[in-house]
Amino acid sequence: MLDRKILKEIDVTTILLMVAISITGIIFVYSAIYYQGSQYVWKQITWLLLCLVVLLISLMIDYKLYLSISLPLYIFMNLLLLGLLIFGKKIANTRSWIVLGPFQVQPSELTKLVVILVLARIFSEYKEDLMSLKAFLLSTLVVVLPATLTALQPDLGTALTYLPILVSTYILAGIKKKHLAVILIAMLVIGLVGWNYGLKDYQKQRIETLLTPDQDPRGAGYQLRQSKIAIGSGGLTGKGYRKGTQSQLRFLPARHTDFIMAVMAEEVGFLGLIIVFSLYFLLLYRLFSSAWVSADRAGVYLAFLAAMLIGCQFLINVMMLVGLFPITGIPVPLISYGGSSLLTSFLACSLAINVRMRRFSFI
Amino acid sequence: MSRIYEDLTVLIKRSKIILYILGAIFLLVLASYWKIQVLDHQKYWKMAEANRTRELPLVAPRGLILDRQQVILADNIPSFKLSLVPEAIDNYEKTIDNLSLLLELGEEELRKRIERYKFVSLYQPVVIKDNLKLEEVSLIEARKEEFPELKLEVEPKRNYPLGSTAAHLLGYLQEASADEIKANPDKQWRLGEMVGKSGLEKQYNDYLTGIEGKLVEMVDSRGRPIAEISRTEPLPGKSLVLSIDIDLQKKAEELLQGREGAIVILEPRTGECLALVSSPSFDPNRFITRFSTEEWLSIVNDPGKPLENRAIRGMYSPGSIFKIIMALAGLDQGLITENSTFFCSGAIKLYGNVFSCWYQAGHGRRNLAEAIKDSCNVYFYQLGYQMDIDVIANYARKMGLGQKTNLDIPGEKDGLVPSSEWKRKTMGEPWYPGETISVSIGQGPLLVTPIQIACVTASLANRGLSVRPTLIKENRGELIGSRIQLPRETFEKVIEGMWQSVNNHGTGQGAFQAGLDICGKTGSTQLISRKTAEKIAGEEGQVAKTHSWFTGFAPRENPEIVVTVLVEYGGLGGQTAAPIAGQIFKAYRDKYVRPENIKGN
Repeated sequence: MLDRKILKEIDVTTILLMVAISITGIIFVYSAIYYQGSQYVWKQITWLLLCLVVLLISLMIDYKLYLSISLPLYIFMNLLLLGLLIFGKKIANTRSWIVLGPFQVQPSELTKLVVILVLARIFSEYKEDLMSLKAFLLSTLVVVLPATLTALQPDLGTALTYLPILVSTYILAGIKKKHLAVILIAMLVIGLVGWNYGLKDYQKQRIETLLTPDQDPRGAGYQLRQSKIAIGSGGLTGKGYRKGTQSQLRFLPARHTDFIMAVMAEEVGFLGLIIVFSLYFLLLYRLFSSAWVSADRAGVYLAFLAAMLIGCQFLINVMMLVGLFPITGIPVPLISYGGSSLLTSFLACSLAINVRMRRFSFI
Repeated sequence: MSRIYEDLTVLIKRSKIILYILGAIFLLVLASYWKIQVLDHQKYWKMAEANRTRELPLVAPRGLILDRQQVILADNIPSFKLSLVPEAIDNYEKTIDNLSLLLELGEEELRKRIERYKFVSLYQPVVIKDNLKLEEVSLIEARKEEFPELKLEVEPKRNYPLGSTAAHLLGYLQEASADEIKANPDKQWRLGEMVGKSGLEKQYNDYLTGIEGKLVEMVDSRGRPIAEISRTEPLPGKSLVLSIDIDLQKKAEELLQGREGAIVILEPRTGECLALVSSPSFDPNRFITRFSTEEWLSIVNDPGKPLENRAIRGMYSPGSIFKIIMALAGLDQGLITENSTFFCSGAIKLYGNVFSCWYQAGHGRRNLAEAIKDSCNVYFYQLGYQMDIDVIANYARKMGLGQKTNLDIPGEKDGLVPSSEWKRKTMGEPWYPGETISVSIGQGPLLVTPIQIACVTASLANRGLSVRPTLIKENRGELIGSRIQLPRETFEKVIEGMWQSVNNHGTGQGAFQAGLDICGKTGSTQLISRKTAEKIAGEEGQVAKTHSWFTGFAPRENPEIVVTVLVEYGGLGGQTAAPIAGQIFKAYRDKYVRPENIKGN
């Protein structure tokens, strides 16, 4: 199944970029919480090594095989999410964790992967350049089901990351501009209704905070305010590694997870951020280019969706830190502390690498 | 196997468009970071600095207050105070609950206090309790980790080692209220700062207050101090040396123990007060706390009014003390000489009314000195009969009545010198000549304070030089008083009568001390008309007493000390006030007059 020729085609550039970004992440995870001991850093290094192994193993298998088993996987993951809702223990106010020995896993992270597999499979079967109604309905359903289950945990942040993926899938699949406009308006309406009837108070508060962060410094606006102070006070060149007062004196919340980019911004400044943003964009470009060289339609979708998964989550996070997006609690792929997130990001990238590796292979 | 290539160009084109969109969003996000990090950097830098640093005032110890012999009347002792940093509170309700349990504070009181200071800054600690007991300090220290929002600090606290002694003149401190801070923007009082609320503490507050120091420390997000950034030590306030002789002050307070009244002792030549007593007194140490509402109310509502400084605020009829001024006026107007006499038969009928002497059998024929010695009312009725009220008022004001003496503590009262104009203004009636007869023995609407009487006595002792009284030892220079435009001879004639009063079996003989030439005058103020007094006596079986006055100086030549005593409900002046004054003269003699200088030794 796997021959040497294919092995030679492993995209080392992408893997190096991924590792570089991950190591940057670990460096700042250390800065953010070193006083709590180094076990977080060792845990994350272990995760990184584990992810590399998983990445290599996953590359052994042709992505078409993943596509072929995507439907059962999809059903399984949704059942898991449903089970979590019913039987799961509340950790940090959500039912999103499964405890596996020393590790806690968030199935909602891995579900994203399964969703892009299913989407790729659906669209690989419609070999037209214009999206049919059937494809539209099917793809929407495939995304909305796990998104709803995730939102109910409640983990609105993760659920929301599906949205740009779905919209970009429509565009890729060739939805008519008129229809796209209608869909965007419908989403807006649903959003408004959801705001009035569906959102929990703390979720509403977070969005209101976005509009007036300075109103209640200790309340909901506190996180955004502290985040902006950290970023703004970092300036052009930053306060120096481990010298950020906002992070070291713990004014920043969730420093090693959701707000890690604010720690970076404070300690290495705007110039440092440009480097991280560039690394990220290079990675995205590399993932997109895998789509462009794909041998088949499914490969294009797979690499494209993987790139969107990583890219949108990154953008949402960095927008949230400066108040361009409500604070929803989503990690930065590859950079934030956390095994599930890292594994999901690695597997997502591996799909694109997988597509590039097998660009010359025959059906 | 043949490879089937699909035509994916459209798909790839679309994905490229999406990549461009992503790239554009990347640039937009970077632009917004540029705005925050580079363009608005200064603003956020300041906010970060405000986050991580906290400025704490270092309270300067107030200056000491010392008596003329450097005995400490007010100093400072270290005291623990507990503050709360509102910003660091995690769970407001829980914190309030725990604190009220731990420190036995009322929840409502605590809440109000935090609310009151909320507008200042969430990072500034709010004092929630002071004067913590040592057990409370250890209780808080033990739970430091549990309550990161709490802050224990040591600050110098005012202490009055002698307790209630000299409390009225020293005054007391209380926290500056929000209104006071607004009313005195130039003083730059901090919320929670302890400021003088009465007495010398108020009058010399700026002098006694030192310069506050400042501690800038680095804090973490829970308000926990991490490190000290800078420290400016406070500058202690300057010390105040009083003219008060604490031994005389104590002696005088002892003599008024259990009574309501006032004593003023001063040096006539300088106006320096050696003692200023108001009884009953209070312990100012009990006020130096931010939370003493109940105790405060119990003192404020005490019927004995211990907070009132009777020596400068108590307004009384002068009674026969006023005869001194009548005598000066009569002599100066040429209505009487030292040798002219009036006859006292125990009463006299003037303007159709009978005016009685206190001695119903009558004093017989009396010259001026004898009339002062015996405090003969009929003599002064007849003198007053010849005078206009406005002339009397003029002399009274000349001697300093009806106006503040400007003693250097706040709150002094003016007293009241009635005149025809005053009557017209306040009652809309003309002055009736019959009223002048009452005024001439110090009754009627006349009102004086003990410090005024002491000053009148000092002017008399100085033979016409009036001095401004003071409680401060150091500023002797500016005390040179003004001369009252009356011939020295006139004063000598009145002083002769006062000397006789004490030394020749007069009404003031209770003040007599061997070897000290004391001159004095008694006074008994009728509180209510005799009719009412008898009525009350009939109903309750007790006679309504009069206020008892004595004022005098010694020695007759080159006077060194003036003593004025007022005892509320003390009966006749000769019965109560004069013996008390005698005791004070004795104490003064024993302490200050060398044995060889005592007359007769």
